[in-house]
Amino acid sequence: MKRILCALLCCTLLTGCARSGPTATQTASEEEKNSVVIALDVNSEPAAGFDPVYGWGAGEHMHEPLIQSTLTVTNTDLTIGYDLATGYTVSDDGLTWTVTLRDDVTFTDGEPLTAEDVAFTYNTVKESSSVTDLTMLDRAEATGDTTVVFHMNTPFSVWPYTMAYVGIVPEHAYDETYGEHPIGSGRYILKQWDKGQQIILEANPDYYGQKPEMERVTILFLEEDAAFLAVQAGQVDLAYTSATYADQQPEGYNLFRCETVDNRGINLPVTGNPVTSDVSVRRAINMGIDRQEMIDNVLNGYGTPAYSVCDKMPWYNPASEVAYDPEGAARLLEDAGWTLGADGVREKDGVKAELNILYSSSDSVRQALAADLANQLGELGFAVTIEGVGWDTAYDRALTEPLMWGWGAHTPMELYNIYHTDTAAGTARYSPYANERVDGYMDQALQCTDLEESYTLWQKAQWDGTTGVTQEGDIPWVWLVNVDHLYWVKDGLQVAQQKIHPHGHGWSIVNNVDQWSW
Amino acid sequence: MKYRYNRRKRTFLLLLLCVALLAAVAVSGVLLAQDAARTDFSIKNQMPSRAHLFGTDWMGRDMLSRTLTGLSMSIRIGLATAVVSAVVSLLLGSAAALSRRADHIVTYCIDLVMGVPHILLLILVSLACGKGLTGVVVGVTLTHWTSLARVLRGEILQLRSAPYIQVAAKLGQSKWAIARRHLLPHLLPQFLTGLVLQFPHAILHESSLTFLGFGLSPEQPAIGNILSEGMSYLTTGKWWLALFPGLALVITVALFAALGEGVRRLLDPATAHE
Repeated sequence: MKRILCALLCCTLLTGCARSGPTATQTASEEEKNSVVIALDVNSEPAAGFDPVYGWGAGEHMHEPLIQSTLTVTNTDLTIGYDLATGYTVSDDGLTWTVTLRDDVTFTDGEPLTAEDVAFTYNTVKESSSVTDLTMLDRAEATGDTTVVFHMNTPFSVWPYTMAYVGIVPEHAYDETYGEHPIGSGRYILKQWDKGQQIILEANPDYYGQKPEMERVTILFLEEDAAFLAVQAGQVDLAYTSATYADQQPEGYNLFRCETVDNRGINLPVTGNPVTSDVSVRRAINMGIDRQEMIDNVLNGYGTPAYSVCDKMPWYNPASEVAYDPEGAARLLEDAGWTLGADGVREKDGVKAELNILYSSSDSVRQALAADLANQLGELGFAVTIEGVGWDTAYDRALTEPLMWGWGAHTPMELYNIYHTDTAAGTARYSPYANERVDGYMDQALQCTDLEESYTLWQKAQWDGTTGVTQEGDIPWVWLVNVDHLYWVKDGLQVAQQKIHPHGHGWSIVNNVDQWSW
Repeated sequence: MKYRYNRRKRTFLLLLLCVALLAAVAVSGVLLAQDAARTDFSIKNQMPSRAHLFGTDWMGRDMLSRTLTGLSMSIRIGLATAVVSAVVSLLLGSAAALSRRADHIVTYCIDLVMGVPHILLLILVSLACGKGLTGVVVGVTLTHWTSLARVLRGEILQLRSAPYIQVAAKLGQSKWAIARRHLLPHLLPQFLTGLVLQFPHAILHESSLTFLGFGLSPEQPAIGNILSEGMSYLTTGKWWLALFPGLALVITVALFAALGEGVRRLLDPATAHE
């Protein structure tokens, strides 16, 4: 009897589920066409809430904060445009930035946004020193209702890029609960946040800029397979996905492919590793790997070859590009004394060409990239093993072993973080490397008072004709691929033109959700 | 006689068959280790075929060799952990039974270990040992000795008051001699059965630990890794990635359970003469 009851219960439950499915989709399609439901990765949900002081919009996966306004914005070509700012000037010594603001902006609680709020935001971000690095800033000061002055510790020419991701919070309504109940002046208002599930954003009726087309944006935080099931059930309008699912064809959806600077590459320690400390080895690896094959094999074609940490950015030096030439790579190794042994592994002075490539053990794409790289390097005469590691040990181990990294940001500071010598350690931070000329260009670039001019210097840091970090230079990192960001988009939804996405397959897609339309 | 072989002999044959099968899996895994790790992206995501009986995964690795290597790894880990934890339980169990103070300590430890949820303790120990092979072996060993230790302790306590032990003591035999000549032979059936029955436990826990990401590194062909990777491909219809390895794991565990049951039948006085 019990069994029969159980079976009956199951049946009702099942039919219940089956019934609720179609009704949900019906309501979604019947609704007026000014709302959108988006599925993002579960890691996109900000743990510290929507508080710019604690990293909302900033950090490794930078994006526009939506709820708050920023002083500047990055344009589609990654040059600088204005949001709250109406203009900025920098003093000749690079130590004082003066920014003028719009005077018609109010927070969603009705209070006007003034220079005081801007100064308060920057000073608070600096004090909290959480995700956003503002060590170059001494203090921010409001010198009038619409003028704010930034006093710097050191010249920092890329300051406009920093101003593009720090959301301005109201001084009068800021406390420790701000992350859960943010008040901003941005395009959207946070209406509801069901932790671990979803957020609902509604258009800010008093927004000073162009009125958002999408009045209601619901963002669900789903695992990749759950997001795909939601697509199959027709319950979301846009969902993130990966190359694994790209060969599927869910009815009523199209695959939307965003170009990125979300790169993957390996560091080759210049000291501390007997194999990679030889510059010929590093050059041979850079020219001896077939990036397109890697893209076809691992990313199912959804990617572009990467030759630097900043491909396609205004500060990218095209001289970074290198042609695939396995014979040339073999010749280079032969000339440097790495001769093939009987077992097919090269050897020099008793040192075997052995590499152990590390990858983050929770990332299957990086694992596959490492495996493919191992196969390709095997053909060049290297004996390569791969090993999954956690981030708790990865940073330390990368100081002597190659690690599969992911980078890519909308600021040239990334070049600095990767290649510039850390004064305390005497080498670069993530992988041993030091070159005074390269450091010099980057220091000059930061001292520049003109952004355009600084781009040239960032490019020279990569390759100035005689030295740099590219193939003919020291090549301390080898860049492999830029991973396309893939999304399922429901038929009829027009997603506005995207900037080149930075690292992090998350909020970037929503940057201009206000301009999407049905 | 209806059968040519009596029940005891049949049990024995079954036992041999189990051992042979498991040994074959263990050995084949070692031989296939190279194949299992080899990636070939030109044949990725293939359905089961004659060339690849279990199909291939997203990096073009042959799932049959991966499954066998994974099982072999599991069996070897199971062997190591089962033997170590059985020896630990024998030592601690007998110490507890022979000295009152030791009994307090050991019983306390048993309660302590059993009081913490099993999988949680496993994860903690494995993490503390830096995951990987060491983490799994130490983790499973440290959490699996308790129940057998408790059984052995009870058995020894009971035996100590048995007349023949007391007579031996009265006759002036040393404690050591009594333990060796009279206690150990009596404990052997329980001990062996317990040891064999540790296997399926150890294997399942090794797999689940790895499945949850606290065990072996993802490039190692462990059943836990294979299953957790297969999970993300199920929604795209790649059923073979999880089905065959999962079945193989269940069969292996069932074989070990049968083995334990067979050992018990052969050694248990109540069934030994059937």
